[in-house]
Amino acid sequence: MTPEGLVALGIVGVTAPLVPGIAVKTKSLLTGRRGAPVLQLYYDLWKLIRKGTVYSRTTTWVFRAGPVVVLASLIVAALFLPLDGRGAPVAFAGDVVAFAGLVALGRFALVLAGLDTGSSFEGMGASREVTIASFAEPTLFLCFIALVLATGDLSLSGMLGTPLAAAWPRAGASLSLVGISLFVLLLAENSRVPVDDPATHLELTMIHEVIVLDHSGPDLALILYGSALKLTLFGVLVVSVFVPRAGLSGPAAVAVLLAGLAVVAVAVGVVESVMARLRLTRVPQLLVGAAALALFGIVLQVH
Amino acid sequence: MTWLGISLVLIVMGGVSAAALSRRPALGEMLFRLLFGAGCLTGAALALAVLAGAAVPDASLPAAAPFGAWVFGLDSLSAVFLLAILSVGAACAFYGLTYLAHQRGHRAIGAAHLLLALLVTALALAVAARAAVPFLIAWEGMAVAAYFLVVLEHERPEVRRAGMIYVVATHVGTLTLFALFASWAAGTGDLSFAGLAAHPPFSTGRTGMLLVLALVAFGLKAGAVPFHFWLPEAHAAAPAHVSALMSGIVIKMGVYGLMRVVVLFGPPPPWWGWVVLALGACSGVLGVVWALAQHDIKRLLAFHSVENIGIILLGIGAGALGMAYGHPVIAVLGFAGAALHTFNHALFKSLLFLGAGSVIHATGTRDVDRLGGLARRMPITAAAFLIGAAAIVGLPPLNGFVSEWVVYQALLRGASTGDAMQVAGLAAAALALIGALALACFVKVVGALFLGTARDSVADAAREPARGMLRPQVGLAVACVVIGLSPIAVVPPALRVGSLVAGLPSGAAGGGLQIDAAAGPATVFALALAVGLLAAWTLRGAFGRRQRRLEAATWGCGYARPSPRMAYTASSFAAPLLGAFRSVAGVRPDHTPTTFATHVIDPVLDRAILPAWHGVRTAATRLRPIQRGGLSQYLLYVVAAVVTVLLYLLVAGRHP
Repeated sequence: MTPEGLVALGIVGVTAPLVPGIAVKTKSLLTGRRGAPVLQLYYDLWKLIRKGTVYSRTTTWVFRAGPVVVLASLIVAALFLPLDGRGAPVAFAGDVVAFAGLVALGRFALVLAGLDTGSSFEGMGASREVTIASFAEPTLFLCFIALVLATGDLSLSGMLGTPLAAAWPRAGASLSLVGISLFVLLLAENSRVPVDDPATHLELTMIHEVIVLDHSGPDLALILYGSALKLTLFGVLVVSVFVPRAGLSGPAAVAVLLAGLAVVAVAVGVVESVMARLRLTRVPQLLVGAAALALFGIVLQVH
Repeated sequence: MTWLGISLVLIVMGGVSAAALSRRPALGEMLFRLLFGAGCLTGAALALAVLAGAAVPDASLPAAAPFGAWVFGLDSLSAVFLLAILSVGAACAFYGLTYLAHQRGHRAIGAAHLLLALLVTALALAVAARAAVPFLIAWEGMAVAAYFLVVLEHERPEVRRAGMIYVVATHVGTLTLFALFASWAAGTGDLSFAGLAAHPPFSTGRTGMLLVLALVAFGLKAGAVPFHFWLPEAHAAAPAHVSALMSGIVIKMGVYGLMRVVVLFGPPPPWWGWVVLALGACSGVLGVVWALAQHDIKRLLAFHSVENIGIILLGIGAGALGMAYGHPVIAVLGFAGAALHTFNHALFKSLLFLGAGSVIHATGTRDVDRLGGLARRMPITAAAFLIGAAAIVGLPPLNGFVSEWVVYQALLRGASTGDAMQVAGLAAAALALIGALALACFVKVVGALFLGTARDSVADAAREPARGMLRPQVGLAVACVVIGLSPIAVVPPALRVGSLVAGLPSGAAGGGLQIDAAAGPATVFALALAVGLLAAWTLRGAFGRRQRRLEAATWGCGYARPSPRMAYTASSFAAPLLGAFRSVAGVRPDHTPTTFATHVIDPVLDRAILPAWHGVRTAATRLRPIQRGGLSQYLLYVVAAVVTVLLYLLVAGRHP
């Protein structure tokens, strides 16, 4: 565990709430509005931690544990990402499985907390969340398999680190497909358009927002920050595939990563401005499409 | 081996004392507890010693036995199964003492305890047998004991039906095993495992026949798709602690059989590895999709056993392919992952069945759609069940994650080999699909049983069961957590099992190969995650004490009079996923404008086996006229048969 890696992690952690901020700002500007400030999420978080909490009488400790587990699992998952382009604070063979497992652990806790309220709205959101995740997770692993084929390494530090830079000249086409597939996954896993609309106001049409309907105060702050962090982590995956930073010095690599995250955020905002949300029954098709892209990425490398 | 003998004798004596002292149940059950517990401890200590590297010499039965020597032995493969049998067996037996206690008046529960002891003994003998004949005897003893336990509540017609399906399926498997061993030893006549292992090279056709027979026989026992049809019926019909033992242990004997066949046969041809891998992927995905469709909690858990057998078969398939294509590291990792997942699944699946048993005991219903909110009435059961659910889904830092991670490693390493094995890497995506669907299913179960509000009044009177039923659950939950936190302690023995199955020289883990399975860093990760979760929980609690807290009703989006009937049902929860998989899900949705329900059918049992069976019965009815019961008619048949034989000898048979 290197100090540089932890500093990079700290920087990414502090800047995470900017990513959804930039996406929202992009969408506002493109649709002819001024929009909320880019720093809005920071203000919201600061406001929420100072508030009290309201707990439903139906809930148990599972509801209280939800936000805590979501955030803790995402922070541990961040330890596996090579933010400086070379190596992560924690790396071992097969840590991709641990990364996916931690994302799943966060989802498990979040969805159970939603069900703990006994509300049919939250049950509906939970059902949709796990349905979409069932299609997203195999796609994520297809991307990992393509990266294993390209780099021969079983850890995220290798897949997204030095061996990846060496693999680009050989397997550029394949890696581009993987990057696009990961971007679609980013949209789906983080409840963005075209899978979910973070700006919707009708409970019946929500997915992520409706699961957290009963969370308030600091609990909601943990969840909002967790969502921003998850978006950032998937953004790091996308940026790392497209821009191998192994050749750069540590600070330069982190700077490139932050610039890349800003580009991803703008791209998310552009997608939200130019297309409508898909019908819920079409979402699996979108994700199977992303899986097919990753599969092409694999086929291109099998010889 | 003497210690194993002592252990099994103690277990049987425990069972006998429970049955013989049924007039004085307190004394009988105390003796059962003592003897059974002591027997399990003795045997488990022996198994642990073998897993740690101790060698145990084989033992032969001294008297002249039919069909060659009866040899018994313990290697690391047997030991890992023995450990699972004895630890889960003890948990289930102790749970059963309390679970069956209220039926003492009208059922011979002492006999049920004896049968359970006999089942555990037969299981232990099956993994210790080193010759075909004692193996088959133990195998049959296991099937018969399990049958009588399944039909314990025989007054219910569905239990009798399940028992019949089970007994037919298991005997088809046993007959296939007879064929397997007979044709394997056809050249030499030596039925000991050592003799089978020293077989001369088989022809391609003979190899194919043997390996297919092994797949059918052991696949039937394991409940792999398409041989799973008996499993949900039998496991749902049995009492909870028997379901736990059957789902946790008995079906694993199929896994043991497959791995033992690989040990004895040597490197299988590539096609066999591909078939096992494909069966694993099908069992995994279909098992979990069918589980999603269930409303009956025990049937649901039973289908998850099909799913987990799929995961184990993915490991065995990766191992067999690694052997066939000459990648020993992948072979060891695949078999090690399969062995470890077998053990872990034994722990968390029996935990889940025992939890389900407590819920059924407390509420009297198995229908998940009627339950809810039990976490407040049964907090310990709920917490243990939640741990089991997170473990079976494969979430870190629990034991299911550790074994799935080893299987993933085998598959992902397969992807980077650069030969035909690369295609096996795609199975990692199937494993991810299985994991995500399992998460959906267990969110549904935990949510429907323990969270929210009950849609029915059955849950109103529910309360925590007696300590005799809680302790086994807590013990199993603790085991799940401990294994999850210590990959460094469990992965090396699993690798030793893997190298034994992969045919590498035993001894050191990996058999001289340097396998960096990264168990050390994984342990650091698991501990760090556990510490992180605890720290976050403590911090949140400390912070929460300083802030204002209010209690209110759940936000109903402005609706002022929410009722429990409005809670989302488990069927509705699963509906979107079942819609996406409707072509294979075996679900008939049934909705009117105001109601929604799903009906479940088993595609294999209801669409293939039962129609085929009815066809056979119709055909048999046509034959009935020849058997009318008249003596003169039968004498005519005898004369006709003798004449036919004489004619045959006259025409064709110069040889007698």
